[in-house]
Amino acid sequence: MLDTRTKAKLVEQIEAIVGPDHFTTDETDAVLNAHDAWPLSEAKIRAGETLPLADVIVYPSSTEEVSKILRVANDLRVPVVPVGGGAGTCGGTQPTYGGIQLDLKRMDKILAIDGESLLVRVQAGTVGIDLEEEVNRHGYTTGHTPTSLRASNVGGFIATRSGGSMSSLYGKIEDLTLGLEVVLADGSVVRCKAVPRHSVGPDLRQLFIGSEGTLCVITEATLRLFPLPPSRHFRSMCFPDVHSGLMAIRAIFREGIFPSVVRLYDAEDTALHVSTHFEVEEGNCMLMLAFDGRPEKVDIDESISARICIENGAKDYGEGPSKYWWEHRYDMYYPTKFATSGFSVGDTIDIVATYDRLENVYHEMKRVMEAHGAAVMSHFSHMYPNGGSIYMIFFVSQPDAESAWATYREIWDDGVAACLREGGTMSHQHGVGTTRSTYTEAELGSSFEVLKKIKEVLDPNGIMNPGKLGMGGHT
Amino acid sequence: MEDSEAIEQLRLCAGCPKMCRHMCPTFLAWRSDSPTPHGRALLMYQDAKGTRALDERAIEVLYQCLECSQCLTWCLPQVDIATMVENERMRLVNEGRYPRGLDKISSAIKTNHNPFAEPHGKRNKWFVPTKTQGKKILYFTGCTAAYHENGIARSTVSILSHLGYKVSVTPDEWCCGSPLFRTGFRNLGIEQARHNADTLNKSEGEQIVVTCPGCFRAFTKDYPQLGIELKKPVLHISQLLEKHLDALRAVDFGGPITYHDPCHLGRHSGIYDPPRKVIERVSGTKVVEMARSRENAMCCGNGAGMRTLFTDQASTIGDARVSQAREVGAKFLVTSCPFCKNMLASRAGKMLIVLDLPEMVLAAFDSTSKVKM
Repeated sequence: MLDTRTKAKLVEQIEAIVGPDHFTTDETDAVLNAHDAWPLSEAKIRAGETLPLADVIVYPSSTEEVSKILRVANDLRVPVVPVGGGAGTCGGTQPTYGGIQLDLKRMDKILAIDGESLLVRVQAGTVGIDLEEEVNRHGYTTGHTPTSLRASNVGGFIATRSGGSMSSLYGKIEDLTLGLEVVLADGSVVRCKAVPRHSVGPDLRQLFIGSEGTLCVITEATLRLFPLPPSRHFRSMCFPDVHSGLMAIRAIFREGIFPSVVRLYDAEDTALHVSTHFEVEEGNCMLMLAFDGRPEKVDIDESISARICIENGAKDYGEGPSKYWWEHRYDMYYPTKFATSGFSVGDTIDIVATYDRLENVYHEMKRVMEAHGAAVMSHFSHMYPNGGSIYMIFFVSQPDAESAWATYREIWDDGVAACLREGGTMSHQHGVGTTRSTYTEAELGSSFEVLKKIKEVLDPNGIMNPGKLGMGGHT
Repeated sequence: MEDSEAIEQLRLCAGCPKMCRHMCPTFLAWRSDSPTPHGRALLMYQDAKGTRALDERAIEVLYQCLECSQCLTWCLPQVDIATMVENERMRLVNEGRYPRGLDKISSAIKTNHNPFAEPHGKRNKWFVPTKTQGKKILYFTGCTAAYHENGIARSTVSILSHLGYKVSVTPDEWCCGSPLFRTGFRNLGIEQARHNADTLNKSEGEQIVVTCPGCFRAFTKDYPQLGIELKKPVLHISQLLEKHLDALRAVDFGGPITYHDPCHLGRHSGIYDPPRKVIERVSGTKVVEMARSRENAMCCGNGAGMRTLFTDQASTIGDARVSQAREVGAKFLVTSCPFCKNMLASRAGKMLIVLDLPEMVLAAFDSTSKVKM
């Protein structure tokens, strides 16, 4: 929290920038902005605990205002936590050291849709579903549809280096972001031109994508568009185990086929999310596929993929489970009475690894997480020719808050350690935030020093989202 | 709802990653996480759990709600935040902890029986009795049509006469109580309800027709829940007109027509098709639906005390709804609520003609072959 004198100075200058109606120092607003969708924050709120609060929440309407606010914050050495939709799952927008929460929700304009170059220029505070529906009306898709689409926004997509559920075909946010506008800690505005690629030194966009507010505030982006696919087919294949399912996925990519959706549910996840609606033999693993494109191409891709699956021991379930998942893909994001009762907490460790390590990572993480009495279920999704991601989902319930939070932390510690030990990477698309901050150095190894040095140059006073991405507190 | 059940519901909403927020009109108006279903739920949950009591700002947030229930359309666990907000408002009013800006509504209703502080004696000034000698029907005008939207009231009487009804109004009509129920002044609302029930039950009309969905919801939902019985059938004008489709006159309106579902009529009373059937009969064209319609229709911004307490934000919501009508190329925006019509017309400008259903129907009766607006 800020001292009274600093806060008074800050408030005076903030008011001069955004006017009296677009900032608040009210505790109620701070409470309502204090959490994102980090399951531990939500569990603590349910348990009646309070979370760290910002001193001031500011709602800028332009890049110019963001720039002025950062200049003031930098001068006064006040922490700045950018907030997008507040839908992140890692505590990335938690104002750990108080200061300013820079809430970008008023920057919600879709500035230009360019059908010739297939681009959309959009402000960072635009909610994902609003952007997707608007470009849909023009006959396009962003191809970026994370489960949080209704709550997350463009700035958050980019800040957390996110991935959508159809990313195997359309790509992740780093593939989709062609142009970027960011504001640095000293208030300078940096623009990375929107071009398909370049060879003018390193691609600095990639420095800012995934920086989680620790290097800059993202204010605007130019994203790729795709024509809406003329057809989308769903296909479901049930395998006797994870291994055969992964073999099939690998073979599909080797054929040069890029399904829009590739999701392989392990036996536990199949039992919970598929067997409740479809007859599935116990222990089997359901693979859900979708294919986007022209009908002729989709037909071919689907039939080759189906053949590969059957050759790897799958039973054909037709479009059923896959289509059902697609139509209910947001449902799992809603809380349930069971998962929110007592001192329950669940979370997802979304790791990624190459095929040669993927199964080992899966088995080892599952083993160490289950050792804490957690229910663990997983699905493999966001697959590539070289490997893929696993959603290691766990759920634990304890008789009291202290043991629940401690067990939660132990599961994370042991799960991430197992992942790193077996050669995986601790996050595929959710980011680091607060949850994984302490593991960042171990994850990045020698490259962590590079990140730290970049941080020191761009944010010498350490005001930008302190405590996240392994960067420690502010000075 | 038991307290424990309410807390469980609030817990679900407070623990949700905001799956309905993008559809909440007050989120659109403020672009902040505070006036959202999740924000309201979290404040009520923390208060109920003893974590943090409602302070003045929290109370303000609870009044930054239209009670439009659009969040419920998007809520898989079906947490009815609007009802919980309404119950909380009732508690706050009983404790004297409500925004004082509401006093002008409640005191006006108490003294003048309408929220606009208009003299009660002026209530039926618009009414010109007709000579039709048919089935007796009592038109409960509602405050907005009686004082601010006389065109709707006159159109209604005229249409009903065309259809052969003998229409009466009563000088003893008071505010139905809807604005009071929605803002937490339930006891004062009950006074209005009891008076109206006595009046209507004694009236000569065989049935009661209303044009205001707020009145309709009060009569058909609130009064029965309070144990106050209306002994005559209550119809919304759209329901009544649906029964007489063949008797309605069809004309060319000369442009696309869209329809705005009033929250009280649509989501709260389940009436979606009758007004559409009437529009399609009268215009001879299909209703051009807005992107958000029926169960997913966006509120006009006028409800539950919003326009009184937060005029600018209410207008922002009204502007957004008007934009949605323009986006589908509508020339006419028809609704079936004087209160919605009043808000939407105030935001529509000259390029979009806003009509209430009776006004549209009467325009067809009065026209030759093409309506000129």
